[in-house]
Amino acid sequence: MPVEFDYAICEGCGECDALCPGDVIYMRPRNDNDPVNADLKNTYTHLKKPKVPYLKYTEECWHCGSCRQDCPNEAITVVFPPDMLCL
Amino acid sequence: MKLFTLSADVLVIGGGLSGLNAAMGAAENGASVLIVDKGKIERSGSIGGGVDHFLAYLNEGGDWDTADSFLQYVEKVGRGTAHMSIIEQTYCEELEDSIERMARIGNPLTQPDGTFYRTASMGQPGPYWINFNGKRLKPCLGEAVRKLGCKALAKTMIVDLLTNQGEVVGALGFHIRTGHFYVIHAKSTIVSTGNTNRLFENPRGNPFNTWLCPYDTGDGQVMAARAGAKLANMEYMRMTLLPKGFSAPGFNALTGMGGRFMNGLGEYYMEKNHPAGNKAPRYEIVFQSLVEKREGRGPLYIDCTHLNKEDITHLKTTLGYDKDTLPDYLEQRQEDLATAPVEINISEGMQAGPTEVTGSGVKIDGDCASNVPGLYACGDAADHNRCVHGAITGGYRSGKAAAKFALGRNFFADPEVAPTEEMAEKFIAPLKRGSGYPYRQLEDSVRRIMAENVGPMRSEHGLNTALKKLTQLEKHLDDMKVEDLHELMRSQETRSILEVGKISATAALYRTESRNKPYHYRLDYPETDDENWCGLVAVQKSGDAYECSFDPIKYSA
Repeated sequence: MPVEFDYAICEGCGECDALCPGDVIYMRPRNDNDPVNADLKNTYTHLKKPKVPYLKYTEECWHCGSCRQDCPNEAITVVFPPDMLCL
Repeated sequence: MKLFTLSADVLVIGGGLSGLNAAMGAAENGASVLIVDKGKIERSGSIGGGVDHFLAYLNEGGDWDTADSFLQYVEKVGRGTAHMSIIEQTYCEELEDSIERMARIGNPLTQPDGTFYRTASMGQPGPYWINFNGKRLKPCLGEAVRKLGCKALAKTMIVDLLTNQGEVVGALGFHIRTGHFYVIHAKSTIVSTGNTNRLFENPRGNPFNTWLCPYDTGDGQVMAARAGAKLANMEYMRMTLLPKGFSAPGFNALTGMGGRFMNGLGEYYMEKNHPAGNKAPRYEIVFQSLVEKREGRGPLYIDCTHLNKEDITHLKTTLGYDKDTLPDYLEQRQEDLATAPVEINISEGMQAGPTEVTGSGVKIDGDCASNVPGLYACGDAADHNRCVHGAITGGYRSGKAAAKFALGRNFFADPEVAPTEEMAEKFIAPLKRGSGYPYRQLEDSVRRIMAENVGPMRSEHGLNTALKKLTQLEKHLDDMKVEDLHELMRSQETRSILEVGKISATAALYRTESRNKPYHYRLDYPETDDENWCGLVAVQKSGDAYECSFDPIKYSA
C-alpha cells in the first residue's frame, strides 16, 4: 500500500480524507481487528473518534505526501509498492 | 437529484497554484470569489505537496538578469510558441509583485537568511531558477484566500460552463461525496484546471504515476472549447526525464546543480551531442534520450557523484521540497545520488507547454482573457502561462482582469439553457446503468491510441488513424458504468482526456512542420519551418468538429 495508517496513534480526525487531492482516502468505522480496539482498549483514551482512514483507491495514489505532512499525529507512512521500487 | 444554486462575481474552476493566485487577484480587487476544486485548496493541484523552484530574472546586476534578456531567452527556446507581448504582460509586469506576494502570505522564495539561491539550466543565459522551500506554499495560499473572504467548494467537479449569447455566465458541477449538483452563477469565470496528465500510455504501467498531477485531466480546456474558446499549442506532447519507477519532478534541481546524463555505456551523452550539454533545453535532452534508448544505449542515468558535499546536501534537500516523497523513494530503493548514478527514464507524454516559459491550453490575451466574453484562463490551462512562475504571475493577472470585468456588470445573466434536475440526471446515468464498461477500460484505450499514433514521432497517416480510432471510441463513452460518485468523476475525466486527445491530434495534423522536437516531431515534415509556421495553431470547435487556424508571431529584429 502506498500509504499506511498507524491506527494505534490515529485519532480519526479525518484531515487526510479531506485533503487528499485524488479523493483516494476514505473513512470507515473502527473494527475489532484495529490495534486500538484489539490490543490497546481503554489505554488510549484520546482515541474516541469512531472512524479511521483507509486507502479506498490504492492505485490512484499520486504519492504526493500531503496526507503525511498534515497528519497531526504523524500516523502516516509512505511505502512504495514493489512495481515502483524494483522496476 | 437536488440542484443547489450559488453565485459569486468571479468563479475560479480549479484551486491549484494558478487558481489561488487568481482568487487573490480577484478578491484584492473587490470581487466576491468562489473557488471550486476536486480536492481541497490547501493541498490540491500539481504543487499540493510542495515545490522547490520559481523562474525569474531579478535585476540584480548581471546583463542576463533583466526583462530584455529573459524575453530573448523565451524567443530562443520557445520560438513560434508565444507572443512576446503576452509574456511581457502576464509574466514580466506581474513578476515583482508576485515575488513580494509569496513572502507576504508566509512562503517567501528566499532562503532562511533572506537571499535567493539561484541555479541555471535548460538553456538559460544565467541562473533563472530560484530554489526555495515551497512545502507550505499551498496551505499558505489557502489561508490567504480564505482571509480575503473567498469561498471554496471542495471535492466538487465542474462538468460544464453555462453560457448566454456566446458569453460564459457560470458553471454546473457535482459534489463527489454527496452527489449534490451545483448551479453556479458568475459574472466572470476563470479556468485554472492545469494540463492533461493521463493522456498517454505510462512507461511505469500505472496511469496515475505521473510527473504532474494525475487528477489534472484537461477538464477546463475541454469545457472552454465547448463554450467557443480557442485553444493553442495543443499539438505539443511534453515529456521529461525522471527516476525510473517514480514519475516525480526534480529535473530542474538535478540539472541546475550539475547532474550529468549518462547512457548504458557510461558515456555522458548530452555533453557529447549538444553544445549546452546537460544544461540544454529540456526538449533537447528528451530528444537525445529517446535517441539513446532507440539505438539501444540504455539504461539511462543521472550522475551526480562528482558534486561536492555541500551541493549534494542542497540537492537532496531541494528534491524533497519539490516532491515530498522522493527522498523516501530513493531511500527505499537503496539509491544514493552521492555515491552512484541513479537510473532515470523518459516520462509519460502529456498535454502541456512546449517550454518552461510558454504554455498550452486556452488561448489568452495579455489579461488572460479568452475570445469568449466572461471567460479567462491561467496557469497550465492557458497557452501563455507555464510552470510555477507562470501560475503565480498569470494567475494573479487573470484574477485582476476577471474582477474588473465582473464589477463592470450589475447583474447575473441567466444561462440560455437553465440547468434542470433532468439535465443533472444525464450526468449520473453511468451510476444507474445496469451494465457497461469501466472508465479505465476506455481510458486505457485512449492512452494506447495516443502513444501509438500521436507520440514523439508523428505522421499524417498515424494522426488520421488516431482521430478515426478516438472517434470510434467516443461512441462508447455513453456505455460507461460506474460504481460510485468517485468513479463518476473519473468517468467525466475520461471524457475530457479523450477530447484533449482529439484536439491534440487535430492540431498536430495541421502543423506540417516540426517544432521543439520531440514535442512536435512530424516524420513527414522533419524540419522546423520558420518561414511558414512561426506561430500558434489555434483550435476552435465548430459543430462536432474542430477547425484550425494559424496565428503568426512576429519578432522585432
